[in-house]
Amino acid sequence: MIADLTETIIKILFIFSINVGFYSPILGWVERKQSALMQDRVGANRANILNFKIIGLFHPIADAVKVLTKEDFIPEGADKFFHTLAPFISLTPAIVTFAVIPFGGNYELWGHSVKLVIADLDVGMLFIFAFASLSTYGVVLGGWSSNNNWSLLGGLRASAQMLSYEVAMGLTLIGVFMVYGSLRLTDIGMIQENFFRWGIFMQPLGFILFLTCAIAENKRAPFDQPEAESELVAGYFTEYSSMKFVMFWMGEFLEIVTISGIVTTLFFGAWHLPFVTDQMLLSWFSPAGPNGAAILAMIVNVLVFFLKVSFFIWLLMTIRWTLPRFRYDQVMRLGWKMMLPLALLNIFITGIVLLVWK
Amino acid sequence: MEIKDFQAWVGNLPADKLKPKKVRKSIDLSLWERLYIFEVLRGLAITSRHFFGNLVGFVVPPNGKKRKIPTIYYPEEKAVMPPAYRGRPVLVANPDGTERCVACGLCEKICPAFAISIIGDERANGDRYPSSYTLDLSRCIYCGYCEEVCPKEAIVMSDEYEGLCASRRRDMLYTKEQLLRPAAQLQKRIDYVRRIYAKCNY
Amino acid sequence: MDIMTDSAKNLHTEKMVINMGPSHPVTHGTVKFTVTLDGETIDDLKVDIGYLHRGFEKMCENGTWEQVMPYTDRLNYVSPLINNVGYALAVEKLFGLQAPERCQYIRVILSEMARICDHYTNIAAGAMEVGAMTVFLYFVEARDLLWDLLEEVCGARVTANYVRIGGLKNDLPEGFAAGVARAFKTCRELWVDVDKLLTKNRIFIDRMRDVGTMPAQEAIAHGFTGPCLRASGVPYDVRKAQPYLVYDRMDFEIPVGETGDNFDRYLVRMEEINQSMRIVEQALAKMPAGPINLDMPGMRWQSKDDTYSRIESLITHFKTITEGIKPPAGEIYSAVEGANGELGFYLVSDGSGKPVKCRVRPPCFPLTAAMPRMMRGRLIADIVPTFDMINMIGGECDR
Repeated sequence: MIADLTETIIKILFIFSINVGFYSPILGWVERKQSALMQDRVGANRANILNFKIIGLFHPIADAVKVLTKEDFIPEGADKFFHTLAPFISLTPAIVTFAVIPFGGNYELWGHSVKLVIADLDVGMLFIFAFASLSTYGVVLGGWSSNNNWSLLGGLRASAQMLSYEVAMGLTLIGVFMVYGSLRLTDIGMIQENFFRWGIFMQPLGFILFLTCAIAENKRAPFDQPEAESELVAGYFTEYSSMKFVMFWMGEFLEIVTISGIVTTLFFGAWHLPFVTDQMLLSWFSPAGPNGAAILAMIVNVLVFFLKVSFFIWLLMTIRWTLPRFRYDQVMRLGWKMMLPLALLNIFITGIVLLVWK
Repeated sequence: MEIKDFQAWVGNLPADKLKPKKVRKSIDLSLWERLYIFEVLRGLAITSRHFFGNLVGFVVPPNGKKRKIPTIYYPEEKAVMPPAYRGRPVLVANPDGTERCVACGLCEKICPAFAISIIGDERANGDRYPSSYTLDLSRCIYCGYCEEVCPKEAIVMSDEYEGLCASRRRDMLYTKEQLLRPAAQLQKRIDYVRRIYAKCNY
Repeated sequence: MDIMTDSAKNLHTEKMVINMGPSHPVTHGTVKFTVTLDGETIDDLKVDIGYLHRGFEKMCENGTWEQVMPYTDRLNYVSPLINNVGYALAVEKLFGLQAPERCQYIRVILSEMARICDHYTNIAAGAMEVGAMTVFLYFVEARDLLWDLLEEVCGARVTANYVRIGGLKNDLPEGFAAGVARAFKTCRELWVDVDKLLTKNRIFIDRMRDVGTMPAQEAIAHGFTGPCLRASGVPYDVRKAQPYLVYDRMDFEIPVGETGDNFDRYLVRMEEINQSMRIVEQALAKMPAGPINLDMPGMRWQSKDDTYSRIESLITHFKTITEGIKPPAGEIYSAVEGANGELGFYLVSDGSGKPVKCRVRPPCFPLTAAMPRMMRGRLIADIVPTFDMINMIGGECDR
């Protein structure tokens, strides 16, 4: 009991520090530097401590100091309660959803079985969908309560867009569940120990559709209509400042991490290296004793998982800085007239293939 | 609109001289291009090429350059200004520290922004000099007319591009003393001015 | 069905009036749109210009003919050299003079480089407005290379003040042709990248195609000129229709579009960049040696050699500067092909050293005036590419 509790607390602390402590500040830096290099620029490199600049890595700290000392402004006529509540609603799901994503396998440590996932729910994927839909409320409430025309338009766009793409996103993943026969993400991860059963080979169309829908859910370019800075100034968070503004941004960055985590888990072999089974890893590290081997294998698996996640973050950032944005009606058309039928088609084909296979 | 309608409209223009070139013809998209995904991949390839090229360019800079990216790290590195560059206008001082200006007022007259005001006076030996030469740098538009009209090479555009701003307007009123620079420091520009306004160009 | 239409009719809905600008991300150049929205659809749009009015024409009346030259830099501040050339040509027409041949070639070269810069800025900003930030910086990088060259020639990147009535400020620096060849190589590489990123990109095409359409007849009726008119399929280009300088000796094509939508405008501008590069290369190859200024006391300021050495020249120098050069009384209209269209100068002289009237025909004014016509019934997001592609420049439109 105590051991289980300690294990859970350690896992929560680990994921929390990785996500909120590492990824969310570092992604601000990555976004700046990566876009800069893509665009033949240098990027932010001026923040320094005692003249040490280390390629701009102090900028997240400088940003944090700045936003914490800025005035927290609530415009006149805004609904104070909802205006304050919105960023929390938007940030919480982004933090919580990572709970069901496994970042490693099962390990026997001193007779205690350790499973590297915070909550091994048997409806893990549904849990993610449920919480992802919650973040819509944050955006809509933020847009509505700001008492600003631009915010209102942004909020409206966000609600329509996120609702439409949630449908398609849910359907794209049904193919994955049909193939693996489970909603539990740890099970899906286990099955992908075999390289040829990675999701990308089983569900290539599903992968592309899911990635598109996920970017749309995340409201980043080319699907950033809710904030579309050239049309709506800043959309739903036009009237936000200080820490509340940052909470929206943190929510967005953490969603990127979550999306990359889901993509890795479902389509790219979760914590596995290609052609390397868990058993092989343990046997390679066997000189370190059974516990040592398990720990080493665990470290390798966690590293592999987060490397894959980082790669997808890089990919998502590259997409964001390469493409122009859609127009609002085109987004809706794409969602309902292309994504949804294609997702259904994917389910249909998967069903037929599964039937024939059997 | 047909070409001949247009010719009637602007007056007879020979069609062979006009050479219109239709640019729209190639934009019907193939199914391949309509599918988004392949064009997106091509775009990603281009931006990634720049990304990795620049990343390598930081570690292994190309020959003769500090880095592949054309950015200059101001203020650690300063841009090298071409001799034509027009920075802050300054007054040329003789070796004895007096100004070359004779207060003829041509620069005051030609200044399109009315930034210069001169009060002339006479020295004991009969030489004219400006007892006050005020340049309002908040009005100056750096057009270089003062330099072009000056018959004494007394005011030139220097290559100073720093400190051109102040937080109070009265700090932008530059007096004669603030503007005087020794001639040796400005020799390059004076030579350049002699060359570009020389007789051979006329 | 009946119930649906009934409720749509009886449902109380209000139209939303939104002020876009004068300080809004899309209104580069300070302009205000009062947009009446029905949902996301634009019901009505009103353009308010004048936020950048600086009294250009009145200022001109208070200075000598030469003093106007730096003011013209601030008309279309993205391609100032074309304004310089346009004004100088107008005054020379008033005098009935022609600048020396080498000067004319240099004017052509620099006008075309300014045109390239303008198109770069326009396409780059257009891409950025629809979200493709990377394209923006590729073209800004290319533009910077050209500005570096222009800086070597003019002494400033944007506020050129380079052309003089009857000549030029100075000759091209040594190694200019080599510098152009080097810069154009990089520019062409970046052009290819941008072309690949945008021209076949379906997202970009969907944003631009069939948006802001102007049929040829209507475009002419509205007074369109330049790339926007050519996008509608009318091959009108001042450089061809009334050749000035040495444009009749250059071999170049006029890109024309078909439908006059934003995508055509984009394609026309992309092609014009190439054509302008061709002109620059031809002109550099054909350029003769010789003087660049008219040697005419009383018309062009004296050379420094004369001013320093001869008392008569010094006196003339003082006279021309204090009184200004004096064109014969009369009025004149002279047009050049600006980056956005026909840039006209209408000058009235009474024989004195100051213009009586210096009126500018800004190419972007008729284009801006057609915004409501192009935008009614479209979506709010369509304002973004349309307003960018008509390329309204505040300095020129509001003067």
